[in-house]
Amino acid sequence: MAKQRWGSSLGIILAVAGSAIGLGNFLRFPVQAARNGGGAFMIPYFVALFLLGLPLMWIEWTIGRFGGGFGHSTAPGMFHTLWEKNKFIKYFGVIGIFGPLVIFIYYVYVESWLLGYSFFALAGKYNACTTEQTMTAFLQGYQGLVKNEFFNGIGTAYIFFLITFVLNIVIVYMGISKGIEKTCEYALPILFVFAIVLVVRVLTIGAPDASKPDWNVINGLGYLWNPQWSALKDAKVWLAAAGQIFFTLSCGIGVILTYASYLTKQDDVALSGLAAASANEVAEVILGGSIVIPAAFAFFGPIAISQIAAGGAFNLGFVTMPLVLQKMAFGNILGFMWFMLLFLAGITSSISLAQPAVAFLEDEFNLSAKKASITLGAATFILCQPVIFLLGRGVLDEMDFWGGTFCLVVFATIETILFAWVFGMEKAWTEMHVGSDITIPRIYRFIIKFITPVFLLLILGFWFYQQGIPFILLKSAAKENVPFIIATRLMLVGMFILLGVLVWIVWRRRGRSQI
Amino acid sequence: MTLAGWIFLSASWLVILGLFTFSLFRTLRSKDQNNSDRR
Repeated sequence: MAKQRWGSSLGIILAVAGSAIGLGNFLRFPVQAARNGGGAFMIPYFVALFLLGLPLMWIEWTIGRFGGGFGHSTAPGMFHTLWEKNKFIKYFGVIGIFGPLVIFIYYVYVESWLLGYSFFALAGKYNACTTEQTMTAFLQGYQGLVKNEFFNGIGTAYIFFLITFVLNIVIVYMGISKGIEKTCEYALPILFVFAIVLVVRVLTIGAPDASKPDWNVINGLGYLWNPQWSALKDAKVWLAAAGQIFFTLSCGIGVILTYASYLTKQDDVALSGLAAASANEVAEVILGGSIVIPAAFAFFGPIAISQIAAGGAFNLGFVTMPLVLQKMAFGNILGFMWFMLLFLAGITSSISLAQPAVAFLEDEFNLSAKKASITLGAATFILCQPVIFLLGRGVLDEMDFWGGTFCLVVFATIETILFAWVFGMEKAWTEMHVGSDITIPRIYRFIIKFITPVFLLLILGFWFYQQGIPFILLKSAAKENVPFIIATRLMLVGMFILLGVLVWIVWRRRGRSQI
Repeated sequence: MTLAGWIFLSASWLVILGLFTFSLFRTLRSKDQNNSDRR
């Protein structure tokens, strides 16, 4: 079966940038920066970008293209080509299919809320919600957590889920060039235009309440950017910055490996990796940092903004922002733009999350892209149901912990050590520069070999100690949710074992055919 | 917003826009070169 390819170099840059630009750019980053030292947060943020983010980008692009040259589009095969003598390394690669698959299962549901809210904004369905309480009630009604005057069940949310789910599978079904690349070519420019319109609107609101001149957008920017120097002495701030860089660039998931595997041997990876990372940073720091916090500050003031930021990114997106935007002229259209830009950010990420599993079925079981997409669609549709119907029972949080956090950090650590130490820095450096349009500064030989792995091990250790152990031991879980959490863990273990068995079958079959 | 806040904002925006412009410019230039090589 002929291997799929990208239509153009710009196409893969847009696809990787689309994968990286997600809800976190517009919601998580401003909250993290505001909570962790304001402007001073940018010092550890940039340190992490240059010592962790960019090296990981180049590592994943290079491993992906290298593995693709051997006919592998997913981590098990790629890890095996990097360390052929080791019989077990391919099983570590299973994380690179399992992780994105788990994220896809819950992410697609959250993404469907954004599609729903885009329509609600245009139709003025939440216009009656003028306080935080009523807007929260609207969200909970939509999610089916309560029955209220806005919604009497989960029906509406389910319809939007079906539309979003089918859309995702159809895009993946259409293949790399005609499906994923085309979608990103249209979605990303629209996303940037919507974000720029919102930034301009927010930066020109001045002080919306003439009686409170201090509640203005410049002071809102100050809330985000004024440096609190003491924060730099706090290890948690450095960890938060490293975590933000790590998650925002979509590193450690396995999707960049798969996307880069569709490159040819002579395609550039160094400049493309830098271009995708910098496009993501524009979306995060320049656009993401100029919408939510300054707007919420100007409308709700300095005291409320601290509570809003403490309430978390999710609340900011679905409760605070609709309240803010409907206070502006053309609020319905601005609300539509806000939710549609988040939806586009979401769908360009979710299609990338689905692709590793599809590629695995294509490469290792010789299924066509279409058959592989339908198989994935059928399996994930069933797995999505607990997330939808058991929302608020800890299922989504559990999947986010294992798929969206644990697997990422572990996978990135393994691939970095494998690339720099097992494959060898000499070969790795040469491989990174094959067909390269730029020369990566030589200092990165040292950074990739020593600094990045140490940085990752530190993140892994600190994170595991601070958050991992309490979460695994169910320290903060509500008692009534424990059975659901245990069931979710069993389901995830089952999924991981199944993928491991599939890898074992493939290699066993391959071994026999070589005899 | 304090002067230090403005400095952090402008410096961060400059670094990111610099990286973005450089990588976009080089990507488009190499694309043009590839096209002319093919011709």
